[in-house]
Amino acid sequence: MTTRILIVEDSALVADAYVVLFQQAGYEVEVATTVAGAIESASGGNVDVMLLDLSLPDGDGLEVLEGLRTRGKSPRTTLAMTGHDDSKTRHRCLDAGCTDVLIKPLPIAQLLRQIERHQA
Amino acid sequence: MSMSDQLDPAAQKKRLKALETQAHQSQRTIAELNSRDALKTQFLSNISHDLRTPLAAIITHAEILREGMLGELNTKQRDSVSGIVNGGQQLLDMIDEILTYVRGQSDQVTLARVEFSITELVDQVRMLNQPLAAKKKLTIERLNGDDLPPVYADRDKLKHVLGNLIGNAIKFTGDGGRIWISLAARGKNADELIVEVGDTGRGIARNHYELVFREFAQVDASPSRPHHGTGLGLAIARKFVELHGGKIWVESELGKGSRFFFTLPLNVARD
Repeated sequence: MTTRILIVEDSALVADAYVVLFQQAGYEVEVATTVAGAIESASGGNVDVMLLDLSLPDGDGLEVLEGLRTRGKSPRTTLAMTGHDDSKTRHRCLDAGCTDVLIKPLPIAQLLRQIERHQA
Repeated sequence: MSMSDQLDPAAQKKRLKALETQAHQSQRTIAELNSRDALKTQFLSNISHDLRTPLAAIITHAEILREGMLGELNTKQRDSVSGIVNGGQQLLDMIDEILTYVRGQSDQVTLARVEFSITELVDQVRMLNQPLAAKKKLTIERLNGDDLPPVYADRDKLKHVLGNLIGNAIKFTGDGGRIWISLAARGKNADELIVEVGDTGRGIARNHYELVFREFAQVDASPSRPHHGTGLGLAIARKFVELHGGKIWVESELGKGSRFFFTLPLNVARD
């Protein structure tokens, strides 16, 4: 079955770029731009990988994980995407249940490798 | 006899009043300048963050093209798209530097100390910079430091300092030059670490030793200068070193290379 990726990103510019990237790489892609939208999209329970931006218009990206956990619908893999390259942010994400923390923009080859690695 | 003693009480009172007014005015001016400065810092933070997002999109799109994911490119096309990626990356690095500086300006900047090997950190930063150095056929070597005790410091901030010093050394050293890093404990009880990042580059004149650490300052500030940057790198490095209770300075001679040093106290009480 095709791997489904949910991109949670409030910038349409960045989300569009990722949509092109992941579709070309053969993934099924969906986009959410808010915490509420992301919880709704992932509540069906068929998201394999969630790419999670931390600053969303209606709250902290990590709230998405919390919302999905209470619904018992946590994605198998959640990769937090942040511009802040510091250990405090990293710990906050890992404590909240993210699989890994990526500093964006990550070179696309690395991003694709990360997703493959966590799917394996 | 001083002048005020010669004045009659009424004149003295008047003079005092004038001085008080002047003092108030100065206080108001200072407060206003401070608030304008804070506003500027906030603006810099917002604009840097907002510049980052579309730039990330540009770089990602260009990479998709460069990797041939939307169809194979010929060599000229690929070179051109690579130019977009590299230029974007350079711009992104500069924006990140401004953001780091702005965060350092706000008072809530604190140290997240952990225990780690400074020698390993040096090697990590050295490896990260290896590709850039290789392009200019520069060697980067660590001369010593295998037997140092662990430091108790903010790893991210020291990584930034080392990255900045090594990055500068690469930037200002001509093809085929040498860059070295030396680490040693010193002082009566070996209670201070001294780190040196040296190079065989163009060097800095003595009257510019202080200038290079000042924010937005560049030794060559002309529009035609060969090396561009934010002029913030060393100001940030100084801030981070001083937060640790250390010192940073340069010894150099024009045309003969530079040696940047910083110190870190080693006898820091563990939390």
